[in-house]
Amino acid sequence: MSSLRFARSALRARPSAFRVPLQRRGYAEAVNDKIKLSLTLPHQSIFKSAGVVQVNIPAESGEMGVLANHVPSIEQLKPGLVEVVEEGGASKKFFLSGGFAVVQPDSQLSINAVEGFPLEDFSADAVRSQIAEAQKIASGNGSEQDIAEAKIELEVLETLQAHLK
Amino acid sequence: MAFAWKSAGLSYNRYLAVAARAVRRSLKDGPRANAERRGQMDLRFAKWENGKQGEVKSLAQAQATAGQAESK
Repeated sequence: MSSLRFARSALRARPSAFRVPLQRRGYAEAVNDKIKLSLTLPHQSIFKSAGVVQVNIPAESGEMGVLANHVPSIEQLKPGLVEVVEEGGASKKFFLSGGFAVVQPDSQLSINAVEGFPLEDFSADAVRSQIAEAQKIASGNGSEQDIAEAKIELEVLETLQAHLK
Repeated sequence: MAFAWKSAGLSYNRYLAVAARAVRRSLKDGPRANAERRGQMDLRFAKWENGKQGEVKSLAQAQATAGQAESK
């Protein structure tokens, strides 16, 4: 008898539960969900489908942060800093030389780049001397290709220098 | 905005290679020695015509001159 009463109260409780859509995703849930990150270079994979909380990427269309359940998209990356926020709030920073980021529908993020290193592997002195050299070529009277290449280098190096400070 | 390097006749591949080279050169000495080895490319090709081998050219040089000719 008591079990019947319990079932009846459960029945009564249900309609109110239905009023809240089950599909809705609250902020706290979104943060708990993880995004599977693969950060790969031709010679090494830094992350291999690792669960992380958030990834900030320097897309050509602007800086963007990717959380779990992000809209699927393909973004071209500028040379710049990729920040990986892991569980517990610790973040790792990598400087990539440019490539592509692909967000897949099932919370997977693949980032491909030619070169990428942790920020602490860079030397500020090497960057400074390269900037001086590239500026000389960019403002000199070399061929159009040489000037364009020097300008690409300048873009990379100046971004890198800004992050090293 | 159109990319500046594109109007100078550079390909996206070349753009990536130049950017990667700059990144490699900015490394501290230890990791740089390992990384710089990856940037080296040595590939030669020759065109064969009527059963005879033509001139052997370096691919990197041939691409650079082809890019220059294209932008003119």
